[in-house]
Amino acid sequence: MGERTVIPFGPQHPVLPEPIHIDLVVEDEHVVEAIPSFGFIHRGLEKLVEKKDFHEFTYVAERVCGICSYIHGMGYCQAVETVMNIQIPPRAKWLRTFWCELSRAHSHLLWAGLLADAFGFENLFMQCWRIRETVLDVIEETTGGRVIFGSAKIGGVRRDVDNDTLKRCAVKIASAAAEFEELKKVFRDDYSVKQRLCGIGMLSRDDAWTLGAVGPTLRGSGVRTDTRLEGYAAYNELKIEPIVETACDSYARCMVRMHEVTQSFDLIQEIAARTPEGPVFEKPSGYPNGEYFARLEQPRGEVIYYVKGNGTKNLSRFRVRTPTFANIPPLLHMLQGCELADVGLIVLTIDPCISCAER
Amino acid sequence: MIPEQVIHDIEPAALRERTAAYRRDGWRLVQICSTTLDVFELSYSFTRDDRFEHLRLRLPLEGAQVDSITEEYFGAFAYENEIHDLFGIRFDGLKLDYLGNFFKTSVSKPFATSMCVVTGGKNNG
Amino acid sequence: MTRNFLAGFAYLLLAPVIGALLAGVDRRITARMQGRRGPPILQPVYDLLKLMHKESIGARRTGHFFVLGHLVFMMAAGFEFFFGGDLLIVIFAFALSSIFLVLGAYAAHSPFSHIGAERELLQMMAAEPILLLTAMGFYIANGSFRVEEISASPVPALLWLPGIFAALAFILTIKLRKSPFDLATSHHAHQEIVKGLTTEFSGLSLAIIEVTHWYETIMLLGIFYLFLAPYPAAAVLLVAVVYLLEILLDNTSARMKWQWAMKSSWTTASLLGAINLIVVYYWLGVQP
Repeated sequence: MGERTVIPFGPQHPVLPEPIHIDLVVEDEHVVEAIPSFGFIHRGLEKLVEKKDFHEFTYVAERVCGICSYIHGMGYCQAVETVMNIQIPPRAKWLRTFWCELSRAHSHLLWAGLLADAFGFENLFMQCWRIRETVLDVIEETTGGRVIFGSAKIGGVRRDVDNDTLKRCAVKIASAAAEFEELKKVFRDDYSVKQRLCGIGMLSRDDAWTLGAVGPTLRGSGVRTDTRLEGYAAYNELKIEPIVETACDSYARCMVRMHEVTQSFDLIQEIAARTPEGPVFEKPSGYPNGEYFARLEQPRGEVIYYVKGNGTKNLSRFRVRTPTFANIPPLLHMLQGCELADVGLIVLTIDPCISCAER
Repeated sequence: MIPEQVIHDIEPAALRERTAAYRRDGWRLVQICSTTLDVFELSYSFTRDDRFEHLRLRLPLEGAQVDSITEEYFGAFAYENEIHDLFGIRFDGLKLDYLGNFFKTSVSKPFATSMCVVTGGKNNG
Repeated sequence: MTRNFLAGFAYLLLAPVIGALLAGVDRRITARMQGRRGPPILQPVYDLLKLMHKESIGARRTGHFFVLGHLVFMMAAGFEFFFGGDLLIVIFAFALSSIFLVLGAYAAHSPFSHIGAERELLQMMAAEPILLLTAMGFYIANGSFRVEEISASPVPALLWLPGIFAALAFILTIKLRKSPFDLATSHHAHQEIVKGLTTEFSGLSLAIIEVTHWYETIMLLGIFYLFLAPYPAAAVLLVAVVYLLEILLDNTSARMKWQWAMKSSWTTASLLGAINLIVVYYWLGVQP
């Protein structure tokens, strides 16, 4: 039994570029207790809905997160559209799906880089982010922005993308996908990577479910679930098979995300080929009155947008339950009894985005 | 298919019992949301397979308190602490209580008043 | 004798210069492997000059003293080596130098540097036996611990000691703080214990640690040179190849945990070294 030391982990920590603070009670290098604290960057964005016009708020919703921003804006729009009973044009739906999948691919690639950095594999980190650049270039080419691109608006999308551009993007993505397959082999087969990931941060299927894990964290524990199966946007016309791994460890969660990038790259190319012609915007009229819980699949997992309108230009409530928020209880469970060297890794395997968890 | 959203209105006293039933039947707690109207409106969302249901209960603005469901779903502690810090609703029997230190807000209970609902309170948010 | 002194002093003067250039080249090659352009070759020197201008912040002054000890004993070890002195003295002075750094890390009351120090001690436990085995190997092969006599031997030691050579290359990764063994401290502050061992050093102290690391690198590469000492050109080439392989390894592996570091060095490396030693001992015993 060693002496107990409390090691502060975050809110400013090199392995974790996220403002979460965890007090790690360690004996030698064995973590006996992990006590998290949050709330360093609560911005009260949900409250802002009372001051902003519900159209304007799309852009606020998008700024909930700096990585998965697009899906936040789109989810908000989808919730409001359902309340207002607006059918958006099919082309807008397909374009939204296109950007959704680009967001997923770039978010997962960013995450893979951070994970590699957390286990000290700098080269892999650089390669992940290099491929991510291609994805960002495609986003820039189609929207003008790279990370926060404000393309969704209530009633459709802000701008159309001509079919030639879509085709060109598909080619770029295809080449990125080929490069990514090489990269995936390293995550899948490299001895040192497997040493660091296999059997680390176990989260059993039952624990994952009852603690409310979502997204790749839940799928890595063997639960077949993916909100995209509900068929929002154009997903009802695409074939989605949830990627499930059953090992319940960090390696499983990593592989889920790796395969999801491949899946996203495939979907992007399919969407680029199949997007129908037509208008991309349907002007909404009136004000939202009613409530709706929209459920979407973020790169990090299931996200909930609750919208309650009262028939005025301001909504009375907007709430977003981000995937990271749901993944925090499972994270605490995983941290109990791990090694200090694995803490950064385990925290990363839920792909934390504390800024969007606190909003 | 996007599932139909069923909202069950319940009494606050029945919350634990209904939650326990969901837990027994293998539902996953999706979220807890509070809305400030002329009352606090709490929504507990659960999901299983392709079903998505909500429990809805109403609490008075003054001295609101309700049973914690952390006994059934431990993960609820995050939502309950959040709602406590932002709305000032007390949760009895919270298994991991941050005692108001979950979120560090400069104004206490910032979400407890709403500009959209005329409650007489001045908005600080 | 004058020649020996000259070599020793040349080491004291030139080792930091060559070490800095080597670090610059290392960073450049690493960058190219990662698909980046990389910094100028002189970047380590710029870093050092900047560090020297920075304020030294530390809760305790004892840390500075230990860092000084770290430098002085490293210089002593290197001097003894290039002077042509006793390999055992070199290894002991070298170990003492590392101990000073560990003490310096312990002097600061920071959990990060404490854990870094603990890991450094474990890594020393992993590395020291191999260094001793190396000295013993040279003794068996040449009948002397003196570097002077070892390097004067007409038969390259590599012929007798390939296992020990491999084991030492293994240890070099630990000493160079490269993946998979960059767990006590790494070249960038990107791990769960921030920068581990050196987290609490800043300004001049950190600059001294950096210079000491260059002294250390050159001395260790000197030992590799010794394996092919009769053929200087080939020996330099050997050293270059070893260093390139280290960079390659650094760029193709993750950081391992201390359990793995201990296990691998005590099994693989020690076994290689010990078997080599035993074989050479009997071989040379049979045909003197």
